[in-house]
Amino acid sequence: MTRFLLRRLLFVVPVLFGVSVIVFGTVKIIPGDPVALLAGPGASESAKDALRSRLGLDRALPIQYWHWLTSALRGDLGTSIAHQQPTRPLVLDAFDNTLILTLYATVLALVLGLTLGAVAALRPRGIAGRICSGITSIAVSAPQYSIALIFIIYLALRTGWFPVSGMHGVNGSGLGDLLWHGFLPALTAALVPAGVIGRIFRAALLDVLGMDFVEALRSRGFSDRRVLLHAVHNTLPSLLTMAGLQVGYLLGGVVFVETIFNWPGLGLLLFQSISSRDLPVIQAGVLISALAFVLINVLVDSAHALIDSRVRTA
Amino acid sequence: MTALAMPGLVTRRRSIPWTVWVFGTLAALFVLLAAFGPLLVGNVDSGDLQQRLLSPGQRGHLLGTDGQGRDVLERLIAGARPSMIAGLVPVLVAGAVGGAIGITAGLSGRRGHALVMRTLDVFYAFPAVLLAIAIAAALGSGTLNTVISLSVVLVAPIARIAETETMRLRDMDFMESARASGAGRLSIAYRQVWPNVRPALIVYCTALVGLALVFAGGLSFLGLGVAPPHPEWGQMINEQRQYMFTNPELALAPAVVIFVASLTFNLLGDGLRDLLDVRRPR
Repeated sequence: MTRFLLRRLLFVVPVLFGVSVIVFGTVKIIPGDPVALLAGPGASESAKDALRSRLGLDRALPIQYWHWLTSALRGDLGTSIAHQQPTRPLVLDAFDNTLILTLYATVLALVLGLTLGAVAALRPRGIAGRICSGITSIAVSAPQYSIALIFIIYLALRTGWFPVSGMHGVNGSGLGDLLWHGFLPALTAALVPAGVIGRIFRAALLDVLGMDFVEALRSRGFSDRRVLLHAVHNTLPSLLTMAGLQVGYLLGGVVFVETIFNWPGLGLLLFQSISSRDLPVIQAGVLISALAFVLINVLVDSAHALIDSRVRTA
Repeated sequence: MTALAMPGLVTRRRSIPWTVWVFGTLAALFVLLAAFGPLLVGNVDSGDLQQRLLSPGQRGHLLGTDGQGRDVLERLIAGARPSMIAGLVPVLVAGAVGGAIGITAGLSGRRGHALVMRTLDVFYAFPAVLLAIAIAAALGSGTLNTVISLSVVLVAPIARIAETETMRLRDMDFMESARASGAGRLSIAYRQVWPNVRPALIVYCTALVGLALVFAGGLSFLGLGVAPPHPEWGQMINEQRQYMFTNPELALAPAVVIFVASLTFNLLGDGLRDLLDVRRPR
């Protein structure tokens, strides 16, 4: 298992190198001369040249990349233009709140997706099965911003069941308050992953239920529940991989969810940074999200290897 | 497996499922709306301030008017063009580029294959929307930049589908006989591989239009699409969000339109999958 984990982590290094190249690349595709912009319209050529060499922009691209990478590895992700402070604490603080929302959404997506998928697979011709199957089909196309608005209007404004925005109430504190405020945002973010998980689980369960070993279990007199338990166990590997990939969708989708629900996370920070063209914050935010996504998939693969010994030796 | 070698013979005998009819028609309507919608309505950029925030149905405004007295329905129709362009064009671009990359990788030797696939892995490391946001934010707002950023994001998943399909064909008898008959690599890619990869690619790309519409709406929601006086669906949502407490229908209209458009292409993709008998990608 240790060997598997080491090999998997080694495999991550070139991917992270590529990620850093792409994020560095987004700095370089900004149209126009950054020096002319910084120096102002009246700056002389010599002043611009001085600024250029101070910023290291007169060096070759690979050298510029190396400087950017080494300072990023030291934890220096640049300075926010709008906030006039280092981006790292700004982004990391916001990312904590995003992780809370993502975790909440993952739990909801799993519960919803597995329920929908199980009903759809076990009652393929019944009304309940068809409805669940239909819900998953609709859920996978749902834009987060549309769903967020629908939820706010019908579940918060009109009925008052849930708060419209924010993470905590004025006098509220504690886990209950957080879960109550986070429910609609998390449900919004969870809808697409729930649909995808539901579809995969349904297909996987139907596959497994048609296998010989299920027939054998039945003929030996196992109860339906125990047969189902064995069947579900066999769908776990494909389910895990898929759920891991869905976290990427969640981490991206929070931009819209957090913006509409005013959730003080990375997504809301990115939205504000776009309107103020605060590119260092955007780049740092995207970099942190990609790091988290890669890390989560390493964890998922390790869990996969724990369940299925074939993966460990492959 | 002979079915794979002669896809035309098999698919033509299949009856077309109703979903393909219904959602194919709807998808065609969306495309027509994008093509001719802006011609149907006049100037939608400025409104009559005397008529601001009318509710749906009032004074002949079917969906009401927005905060600047502009007819919401007319703006939805006029906004169809940039919204649909941002949803369709990236899939076409990425389909061509990703398809070519995937087939090339599938036909290459071990090293070439590994090089291409490991490079694609890097793009998989990003949450897709965030990568699109980073690129679009750096390039600046506008439909062209939205199209560029979404194209970049969509190449990797399409290439992976094309690669999987090509790898499946690699050791089949008809490929062997094509090689034995002395056909060159390009000719094999075009005559043997492409016709067999095409169905899967069409199905996947159709569904991907649904996702691209959602992403494109999202980018313009964040202010990275068309510049403000001109309408675009995602941007209309963000603009009209400020009236959520008093006139919630305003923001709801474009939100529902994007949802329906995305649903249409996704369900059309599902229908085509049944029609062309393509396996669901894992």
